[in-house]
Amino acid sequence: MLTNEELTYAKTHLGRDLTQTELNMLDVLWSEHCSYKSSKRWFHLFKTESKNVYLGIGEGAGLVDIGNGYLVGVAMESHNHPSQIDPYNGAATGVGGIIRDVISQGCKAVGLMNCLRFGSPAKPKNAYLLEQVVRGISDYGNSVGIPTIGGEIEFDDSYEENCLVNVVCIGVIKPEYVVRSSASTPGHHLVMFGSTTGRDGIAGVSFASESFSDEEEENRSAVQIGDPLAKKVVIDALTDLVHEKLLDGLQDFGGGGATSAAGELAKKGGTGVEVHVDQFPLREPDMRAHEIIISESQERMLAVVAPENLERVIEILEKNETPYGVIGKVTSDGHYTVLEKGEVKARLPIDLLVDGFPEPERDVGPLPTRSPGMAWFKEPDDYVKVILDLLGSLNICDRSWVYQQYDQHVQTKTVVDIGENAGVLEFPMGKLLAFKSDCNSGYCLLDPFHGTANSAAEALRNIVAIGAHPIFIADCLNFGNPERPESYAQFVDAIRGLGQFSHDFDIPVIGGNVSLYNEALVDGVVRRINPTPQIMLAGMIKNDGMPVRRNLITPWANLSLTGETHPELNGTEFQRVVLGDIKGLPPRYRPQEELKAMKAMLQAHSQGLIRSCNNVGRGGIAISLMKMVLNSPYGFKLDLEEAPGSARSFAERLFSESGARYIAEVSETSQPEFMSIMEEAGVRVCEVGLVVQDHLADFGRFQVPLDEAEEWFRSGLRKHME
Amino acid sequence: MTTAVIRFPGTNNEYDVISVLKAIPDGDPYLVKSRDGAKALKDADSIVIPGGFSYGDYLRAGAVASVGDIMDGIRELASGGKPVLGICNGFQILTEAGLLPGVLLANESAHFICRWVYLKVSSGTTTFTKGLEDAVLRIPIAHAEGNYYCSAEELDVLKSNGRVVFRYCDSEGEASIGANPNGSIENIAGIVNEKGNVLGMMPHPERASRSILGSTDGLMILENFVRASKER
Repeated sequence: MLTNEELTYAKTHLGRDLTQTELNMLDVLWSEHCSYKSSKRWFHLFKTESKNVYLGIGEGAGLVDIGNGYLVGVAMESHNHPSQIDPYNGAATGVGGIIRDVISQGCKAVGLMNCLRFGSPAKPKNAYLLEQVVRGISDYGNSVGIPTIGGEIEFDDSYEENCLVNVVCIGVIKPEYVVRSSASTPGHHLVMFGSTTGRDGIAGVSFASESFSDEEEENRSAVQIGDPLAKKVVIDALTDLVHEKLLDGLQDFGGGGATSAAGELAKKGGTGVEVHVDQFPLREPDMRAHEIIISESQERMLAVVAPENLERVIEILEKNETPYGVIGKVTSDGHYTVLEKGEVKARLPIDLLVDGFPEPERDVGPLPTRSPGMAWFKEPDDYVKVILDLLGSLNICDRSWVYQQYDQHVQTKTVVDIGENAGVLEFPMGKLLAFKSDCNSGYCLLDPFHGTANSAAEALRNIVAIGAHPIFIADCLNFGNPERPESYAQFVDAIRGLGQFSHDFDIPVIGGNVSLYNEALVDGVVRRINPTPQIMLAGMIKNDGMPVRRNLITPWANLSLTGETHPELNGTEFQRVVLGDIKGLPPRYRPQEELKAMKAMLQAHSQGLIRSCNNVGRGGIAISLMKMVLNSPYGFKLDLEEAPGSARSFAERLFSESGARYIAEVSETSQPEFMSIMEEAGVRVCEVGLVVQDHLADFGRFQVPLDEAEEWFRSGLRKHME
Repeated sequence: MTTAVIRFPGTNNEYDVISVLKAIPDGDPYLVKSRDGAKALKDADSIVIPGGFSYGDYLRAGAVASVGDIMDGIRELASGGKPVLGICNGFQILTEAGLLPGVLLANESAHFICRWVYLKVSSGTTTFTKGLEDAVLRIPIAHAEGNYYCSAEELDVLKSNGRVVFRYCDSEGEASIGANPNGSIENIAGIVNEKGNVLGMMPHPERASRSILGSTDGLMILENFVRASKER
């Protein structure tokens, strides 16, 4: 809801009282979700420019030039609050919304990803939420025929009252077909199409901009309902409209409905709009202007059409049997005017409506200090047991229960499907792009700056392991209430971390979304989510290379560990498994080491020296290697006694989560070349073992029984869901 | 010769199939929208009903599509002995329309399932599997309702006439319970009609048609289909 201060500000600005319709319009557009009023002021910390960026932050999707006359488009967004209330429809419409963002630039949608956070599925309520969210994503994404090619999922008690559903859509387009989200020519028509307007999703953004109270049930009408079949029809109609270049502007109806869609078009075009609510095709007959103008009914698009193209546009819409209405015109008066039966119901200056809000004061509070000490650490007696516990733990175990519900192969461009380090899609002209999302929210809780930068680095390592050069970042920043200083401090530090990473690695941030107020008051106590800056990184495989997977494939090849292992066990999965909690200072973000390792690994990849590869992430070297062996017919024999770095004890070497490390399978003949690349780059490297013919996992001091390991890994999540 | 690739509202694999058929000599596909009706099939020598969610799979997968006017045209071509291939939702439509026996029930897991599976091809030669007899193929599936079921009598007829073309199996070709992804009776993944010119299969051959996608095993099935279309 508008604050008193905002209301007074608007009245003073206008010199009069507001109508009901105007109140509703300002309420939705000045919500945190639409206005970014607490977050926008920090975006300058991101690197956003680069010679390949065709369209950066600010419209439906960011667009990046991938050469040969094609652009890749990406949008990323949260649909957290609706998914907590109505997980099936909330998640489904999250997917629907992100697809609209990408197709509204004219792109063909070619891939989906989702990043999910829940409380432990051992509790039935969380298992129910997970089940329904996955079903919602699966029913919707599968029906519209876009493959899901990546994503991730993390479990933590902090998400119990606020599950997170972040979605990504990837698209492709030739520059000459790009449609911009602006209405720059007065006299052009505003044509909406795709679906009718109803009362679902009324003021969804305002509801998403508040914390949950105990009366969640009342908010159910704020959740939209999706219709994938209607979306498929919209996609088909839009394909024709874009192909014939009939649109001068396009915006989807997302958060804020028609208020946001037409308002944004006018703002970007420096114009005004006149909207006649009687021209909206309605699904409920008695709707009023103040409802119609903010309804978030799904599957609707708003096109800007020049008078000479109107007839043809209508012809195409009728041929596709999609509901449509010519709802108004672009004007030159700089106002958003709403008319109902000829009567003016609202008339607001675009500059006031779209981003004329009074910027609220936000306090950055102090963050708790964390200790680097590891007094809690004790060398385990039974390493095998720790490895099995890790394999079965919720943040490491097999996720196929989730991703097998997603169609990963429709459109027949999926080169690497889910379950590897990154998803890889084939783009026109044979270009291969890799996509990976990541966020270690435990690290981010303990140290938002390092945790965020390190989460981005982890995504980068996945992209590099598969053999791709990073090309851009998209993000979705999920945090608590920005009006609370300690929560806002987490947010600001995380942005600093991501900003630092984007500059250190020279990778532009081209799109994103902010979701605040992810906290709840339970019996008077604030339950806030871990800071969750979800990062999506895309990379390109250059020079006709092929993606390198992580299963061991060559008996008698060497296994090399690159990078240094430090005694960094605070904040790790090892700590979580032995202590049941995480604490202390998490692994450091080390840009220099990370950068050196990236360049050296990419060079080795480009020379085809690496047979299989994994980065070292959650669970350390032990888990990284186990993931290389579980789905391989072969095995490994190791000697970890010489691993470089300051880690001393065996458990430190096995389970430390220090960054900038990879494990590469390199055949004997390629080994000298591989070693010299690493040496020249100044990357510490060590042969830690061999691939062997038999399916076994021999760590030198002990062996992990693989049938047991497979069962622990396979059942970690499944046992809660079946 | 030409192959009609049918699109119902909600079908979403039509261009995947078309692009593979185009890459096969004489594949010659053309898109037919279901609302164009039976007359749009008059030049067709064969038909593919691709996967997707026809009419949103409302009611039951394939049920609405199976009573459309276009089905009369498909039925006529089928009875004339021309090759008809139903993939995934296409298989569901063919059973709903009575062109193939049995039904496709919800997966035993009650979830949509997408993954690579192995298929054991029948020993007997069929139009669609010439040269693939007894082979083990690797092709992906993606469906919520792929649990094939038919009566004991129908199953007897299918088996004794060599009409079970594909069975889910493990990498060694063993049609074991563990290799069955959806609970289908006797691991059945694909069957043909009595005449042998109508094939329904749950796995997606078009998704295993280029080596970059991980397998070309599906291409061989589609090549057989094109060759059969030419012979008719």
